[in-house]
Amino acid sequence: MPEIKVTPLGAGQDVGRSCILVSIGGKNIMLDCGMHMGFNDDRRFPDFSYITQNGRLTEFLDCVIISHFHLDHCGALPYMSEMVGYDGPIYMTHPTKAICPILLEDFRKITVDKKGETNFFTSQMIKDCMKKVVPLNLHQTVQVDEELEIKAYYAGHVLGAAMVQIKVGSESVVYTGDYNMTPDRHLGAAWIDKCRPDLLISESTYATTIRDSKRCRERDFLKKVHETVERGGKVLIPVFALGRAQELCILLETFWERMNLKAPIYFSTGMTEKANHYYKLFITWTNQKIRKTFVQRNMFEFKHIKPFDRSYADNPGPMVVFATPGMLHAGQSLQIFKKWAGNEKNMVIMPGYCVQGTIGHKILNGQRKLELEGRSTLEVKLQVEYMSFSAHADAKGIMQLIRMAEPRNMLLVHGEAVKMEFLKGKIEQEFSNIVLTINLKHTFLTYYLEKGTLPDPKKPRTMHGTLIMKENSLRLVSPEQAMKELGLSEHHLRFTCRVQLQDPHSDADTLHRIYMHLKSVLKGYTTQHLPDSMSVMVESIVVKVSSSTEDPNTKVLLLSWSYQDEDLGSFLSTLLKKGLPSVLC
Amino acid sequence: MDGECVKLLPQLCKVLAVSGKSLPDDTSLEKLLDWFSGLTNLGTGLVEACPCLPAFISTVIHNASPDPTILSFTFKLTGLLAATESSFKLLQENSLLLGSVFDPPHRWQEAGFWDDPCVRIGWVQGIRAMLQHPPALHFLVESDFTKVLLRLQTDTSLFVAAAANDVLAHILVTQSQLSGKCVDMEREEKSSIGKTVTMDADVQRLALTLGSSSDYATVVMAILEHVKASLVSKENKERHQTLQGLRLLIVVFGQARAPLLGILLKAVSEPLEALVAEGHSQLHLLLLDVLLTAYSCSSHDNPTTGQHNPTRDQVLNDPDSGQPADSLISHMLDTYKPPELIHAGAALLRRDHRDLSHKAKAAGLLLLPLEMITGLTLPGTQSAGSAEQRCSLAELMNSKTPCISLLCVCLTHATLLTCTPPDVLPCPIGSLVTVILSLLRICSGQAPISPIGSSKAYRNLIGCGKVQRCSLEALTALAVSPGAAERMSEVFSVLIEYLDNPDSEPTVLHKSYQTLLKWISVLPVPSSSIRDTLGQDLLSVVRKRVCDVRWEVRDSTVEFLGDLAALSPSNDSAQCASENPLVCSFTPHLVEALQDPESYVRASAIKALAQTFTLGWQQGAAPSQQQTALVKQLLDILSGDTEGFPRRAVIRYFSSWFSLWSQNAPGLPPPRSSSSSSSSSSSSSSSPLLLTSSVGSVLSLGSADLDWEVKVHTLELARLLLHRALSPLGASASLSGSDAASPRQPAPHPYAVTGQWAGPGGQGEAGDADPGGALAGLVEQGVLAVLLSGLFDCDRPVALKACGLLMDLRDAVCPTPAGAAPSAAVAAVTCKLQGCSWGKEVEALLERAGVVANGSKGEGSKGCDWTGDEEEEEEEGGGSVRVCDVLRSLDLDERLSVLSQSSDHVQNSPLSLLQDILSIGDRHADPNSQEVIVDCY
Repeated sequence: MPEIKVTPLGAGQDVGRSCILVSIGGKNIMLDCGMHMGFNDDRRFPDFSYITQNGRLTEFLDCVIISHFHLDHCGALPYMSEMVGYDGPIYMTHPTKAICPILLEDFRKITVDKKGETNFFTSQMIKDCMKKVVPLNLHQTVQVDEELEIKAYYAGHVLGAAMVQIKVGSESVVYTGDYNMTPDRHLGAAWIDKCRPDLLISESTYATTIRDSKRCRERDFLKKVHETVERGGKVLIPVFALGRAQELCILLETFWERMNLKAPIYFSTGMTEKANHYYKLFITWTNQKIRKTFVQRNMFEFKHIKPFDRSYADNPGPMVVFATPGMLHAGQSLQIFKKWAGNEKNMVIMPGYCVQGTIGHKILNGQRKLELEGRSTLEVKLQVEYMSFSAHADAKGIMQLIRMAEPRNMLLVHGEAVKMEFLKGKIEQEFSNIVLTINLKHTFLTYYLEKGTLPDPKKPRTMHGTLIMKENSLRLVSPEQAMKELGLSEHHLRFTCRVQLQDPHSDADTLHRIYMHLKSVLKGYTTQHLPDSMSVMVESIVVKVSSSTEDPNTKVLLLSWSYQDEDLGSFLSTLLKKGLPSVLC
Repeated sequence: MDGECVKLLPQLCKVLAVSGKSLPDDTSLEKLLDWFSGLTNLGTGLVEACPCLPAFISTVIHNASPDPTILSFTFKLTGLLAATESSFKLLQENSLLLGSVFDPPHRWQEAGFWDDPCVRIGWVQGIRAMLQHPPALHFLVESDFTKVLLRLQTDTSLFVAAAANDVLAHILVTQSQLSGKCVDMEREEKSSIGKTVTMDADVQRLALTLGSSSDYATVVMAILEHVKASLVSKENKERHQTLQGLRLLIVVFGQARAPLLGILLKAVSEPLEALVAEGHSQLHLLLLDVLLTAYSCSSHDNPTTGQHNPTRDQVLNDPDSGQPADSLISHMLDTYKPPELIHAGAALLRRDHRDLSHKAKAAGLLLLPLEMITGLTLPGTQSAGSAEQRCSLAELMNSKTPCISLLCVCLTHATLLTCTPPDVLPCPIGSLVTVILSLLRICSGQAPISPIGSSKAYRNLIGCGKVQRCSLEALTALAVSPGAAERMSEVFSVLIEYLDNPDSEPTVLHKSYQTLLKWISVLPVPSSSIRDTLGQDLLSVVRKRVCDVRWEVRDSTVEFLGDLAALSPSNDSAQCASENPLVCSFTPHLVEALQDPESYVRASAIKALAQTFTLGWQQGAAPSQQQTALVKQLLDILSGDTEGFPRRAVIRYFSSWFSLWSQNAPGLPPPRSSSSSSSSSSSSSSSPLLLTSSVGSVLSLGSADLDWEVKVHTLELARLLLHRALSPLGASASLSGSDAASPRQPAPHPYAVTGQWAGPGGQGEAGDADPGGALAGLVEQGVLAVLLSGLFDCDRPVALKACGLLMDLRDAVCPTPAGAAPSAAVAAVTCKLQGCSWGKEVEALLERAGVVANGSKGEGSKGCDWTGDEEEEEEEGGGSVRVCDVLRSLDLDERLSVLSQSSDHVQNSPLSLLQDILSIGDRHADPNSQEVIVDCY
């Protein structure tokens, strides 16, 4: 009985440490490899010893897939690949591959800043890890090996985020990572084929939320910033380097232009250029509007947003500053916050989540007196606002994705228990044919998928398989399984073709010339010269040479290929019929 | 415990108990437990010190609908509180609290809480924390919790099952060691060997001898019965139970000592034999692991004497302990089918099994797939595997996935063969190298002949990156093995083929470079013919690879060139890196790579160039035009590159250069650039002068950089300059930045940026001997400006390093107590604050200290600013302060103590944690509060 086994090593009913192991058709795939920023010890990384005791991840895993560059999805990757030890392929999209190291470097800095940190990766390890990454293109099927294939779909959420379909034989799983079904200022909405996976693993961060219109939130944000600036206050917006920051920059830039505002807007120096570089490079991953207007005006080249210098913080008058890091735990954002906290005219807007222990977390929870190093106390008089611009799918979005993909089973991860329960009820109500499981924290899930029993009979679908009648039962199984059960061996069908060629050289030379010719034409194919059997092989295609009995200058080429390589075989026969070029290099 | 924390704790307990809602931050409760656990380890009796905690527990368990997370936390907290015998008794006296907390899992079950794995895991961990003393064991037995634990051992949650297994192992092993009478028991065990007694009696006797009550015997009996039952053959669906039983045995066998070990072996030997005989492939490797763990002597040998534990050996050879493990392992090796057979061979070698005949067999088995695929005959494999096993193996090797998987296992373990005794090693290392080379050729499609029947297997392997990487790793490991050198030219030829092959994946190329480097490092010096041929071949492939479209390949190539250059001096002391013709021919490629579009490659190129320094360049030879151009190019990168990696590399390049120069020119005075000093003793066109004139720019650009690591590396360069200038004053020993173990500096973070490239500085003979001159020199070079800029940086690692270095400077040049006058020469050195971003801050500090800027410039002042423009300064006149005054007014000692605390020192303190939880509670209570939505980061 085929089974899909899901072991969540991180993303249970919490955010952080997204790491899910999927075993499907004998293949083991790790989906994301995130870390938890709330811990400083081993607990920040997934515990890989649960999947392999001797730490030989390369032997165990067939591949690792990273959905996007957020640290709760990729933060443990260098630890896993370079410190635990994994040498196999790691797949992620091009933008994720480009941006991931920046975020990892940022994270490394935070760790260096902490005392007593151990067991952490270095800059060199981040680079070595990135060298193992194989970039993915959207909608392109990548053959990891003969049996395992993956395909990426656009997920919105952040630049380069992807959902991924994993297929082994006739079984398939779709993993969403984080996704957003509503387009925002710079990204489009997630989209997937009607691929009808056996299992859909979906995030459920906003499982119960039907989010208010993004426009409302944007209006609210702009109103607050504007009011503060108008009364001469300063606005601090702590952000992480890439992602939400760019969305907010577009928002402010447009507003400033429209309202003809003069107060300066600053961004942590260096970050704008870097962000611009990536957004320009991956413009095709942004939303339609940005792509269309790119030629006339690049939305990421901001007129009003200038690089920040630390001396500006003391300048009189209003200003808006985007500064890193986003949780107010160190660096420039914290330094500015300390300077501005005492003035009630000022405001800090936290656009993202902060882990316990950070200043961001404290002020969001209403603390007004903060004890700092050296026993000094900081009185927080400035206004504190939390504005979630997070780009996750809400309950409506999750339902929309289910309608798109039509899964047979569904698993909810990356969310809170109560909210998941609520969503489960909603999904079961609307989609009676879906078997839905909530990923209970620390649960080991196994799906036994009995083919032919679960699909909705009202919805026709194509299935490939072998029908076995045995002991009064009918079963549809894969051809491999059928042969195994019935003790049969596979019969291989091969096509053959004879091609005549005028070539005055000896058979061995002709063979060598064919090899050189095919090698030069068929780049990317495996071409092999086997002089002992007087043959050349291209994938499964065998080309043999013999001289005609009547005319030694006429060579008879015998081509043979398996049905899987039919296209290539036909192409080769046509190619060889045209003869060999006179000069071969 | 902090007084404020004691005050807040009751409030916190109230919030947690009453709110009935879990905290949005899932880490807070775990951190709270960490804090309690730390206090317990320090000997604080939490029950006595914090009576609010038992009260909290009582409130939660009497709550009809507690939050599962809070309930789980309560279990863990209770276990922690009951971890000491005295607290346990106190809790027991407190209205039988423990019983009501842990006792009724069925109560939680009825209420539906038990379905939540976080509640179950909390319960298990609570029990685990408590089981530290005999009364806790008694409580466990009395409450019949062993049954619950045994049930949880096969829980649907992987994590709950693993935790339950852990508790069971803890009970068996630790409880048996709690009494100090193990030695007596061992003695008794020795005398009883050979006597047949029942398991029940054995266990009773064990408990009796340990001085435990019958509790231990009861619980051991229950566990053993359960394990025995779980080992009895099961249907596939119940196999999980058997697997868990075997996993428990592995843990226990790994830790159990002689008396317990004997009883365990006796109890499970029969079902183990039966399982071995049944041959369920799913259990094969776990079974082998159980046997290898049980019969491995290594963990039980006396670590100080290196002697075996004779009692343990006797236990192992006791016929009552069942069939000897050796025969079971032999049986496994004879009957297992190929995939498990090869894995078993690997496990035997990995675990360093003591039986040499098994080891030899395992080694032969591991070579078998390699032999089959390559068609090469290896001595020593003839006896490996039966005809049937070989036949199945050959069949398996025709399928792509198992073939690749098996080859990878063999190759990964091939290096272990070199550690086996010579009489066990099945074939000479040279033959092993040949087989691996042949496999590499097959993978790249270059193998000339395929053995009969192997063509399908050949096809499976062509272009297979996984096998290629494993083969290259094995080849790297074999480079240093005796006998491997005979195959050197073949190895080089295959590696060059790989580097040349357009189909090689980037990761394969990376490994090929690493392997090549390893083999070059062991290349004997006289092999000049190999070197020459290799050099020519390498040059042609490297030329191609530095232009590869994939940045990963270009970076690996550049890294390789750097490492190759670094290898050169050690191999040939007479010849320095860039005098090596091989390295010389690569240098233009490295210079070209400075313009690579990928920042990683640019950084690697700079690093590689730093590894090609010449002695001549260090010792004052005139720099060539290319060298001057290179320095200019590097300065351009430092000022203009948009990425941090290349800029960091540039600073390290100059640090490396300066460090090397200092080592090689200890007698020379510090070079001065012509722009700042007319008394320069160096030739105006010498390399040291080029270095010095660049160092000023490097310091000013580096300290103004936006990247914190560039700034830290700049401070490292400043440290080298400081070291060089101050060593004549006898200050070198106390330089904090140079010495990780310096008492002033906090212990360095293992991944903290350090001057890894920079060796020790000069020996102290060079430079001015007077402190005033040294200080003036440092001000002139811009070192002081870098340090002050760093001190006020918002990035803590930068500020911390700068602070340490400023303290060194202060102690070296004006060590007298505050108020006492420094020497006239030192006092005369001034600096300017104008135009510096940190100038205002220094001015404010000076004012506070009663030192007024300006006008302090005395007669014969050596004042200068870091712009080096003395004339301008003279015209402006004001804004100069004495360096000594600055150094004293900064209150560096206080600053260092604040900076030495980590950025989250305060935030992560217990007080901060309690405040955070309380503020969340207040937030929950406030109906108007804005919900903070948990989000990703």
